[in-house]
Amino acid sequence: MITDPFFWIGTAVCAASLVVCLVAAATKRYPGDAAILSVAAVELFLLVFGIGAIVRQAGGEAVRGEPWEFWGYELTALVLPIAAFWWAILDKSRWSNVVLAAVPITLFVMLFRIEQIWNGAY
Amino acid sequence: MAENNAPQNTDHSPSARSRGLGRLVVTVYGIFAISATARAGYQIATKFTEAPLAYTLSAVAAVVYIVATVAMARRSVATWYLTVGAVLLELVGVLAVGTFSVVAPQDFAQDTVWSVYGRGYGFVPLVLPFVGLAWLYANRPRAAAGSR
Repeated sequence: MITDPFFWIGTAVCAASLVVCLVAAATKRYPGDAAILSVAAVELFLLVFGIGAIVRQAGGEAVRGEPWEFWGYELTALVLPIAAFWWAILDKSRWSNVVLAAVPITLFVMLFRIEQIWNGAY
Repeated sequence: MAENNAPQNTDHSPSARSRGLGRLVVTVYGIFAISATARAGYQIATKFTEAPLAYTLSAVAAVVYIVATVAMARRSVATWYLTVGAVLLELVGVLAVGTFSVVAPQDFAQDTVWSVYGRGYGFVPLVLPFVGLAWLYANRPRAAAGSR
């Protein structure tokens, strides 16, 4: 059982973003503002998580797994929403919203792995 | 049912394969390209001698996903054929590695993208080549429509 509140906040942000993106896919024929903003919220969470991780790790909550693997996941996770946003808006259609919906799904899985690495649970 | 999502280009052709639904197909391939590359890079950098065969296959999978992603995102007919080749290789890879890892698990590290037909990735690696081939077929080159 993961007790880190950051993980559960991130899960909630990803879940909310997924719902918003899927609703946008069902109702709009272009990338919806709400869908884009929800993916931006996921990116913002990742920034806060990253800064929080630096502070917490400096304060003694060491990564039990490989630190470079932890930061590899975190940095890749930070790039993904930007790449998906760029790819989604280059061809404006209903499917742009589904491309954006792929972000919270993928990032939830990555957040889960990040949490596992931090806790040393392999 | 059939809605006009992109009025400027609604018909299917090799040049339209990265539009509409194809946007999502390229996205999913891209996600697998990144994760397979990261996984293969990590395995080869840290523990290649433990299971050289499995980790070499990890690297092959990563290259196949990268080529499929980039080729699928292109417009030309030549890269359409390249995409077909990459996706067929992907299909053969996931079926072969999946089967070997089930039949002879002792010879196979379980942590490659294609082990047990991609179970560690929600079996998406098994479904993806079929989706890719169906999408490529829908956007296949047609003699009459080749005047784009």
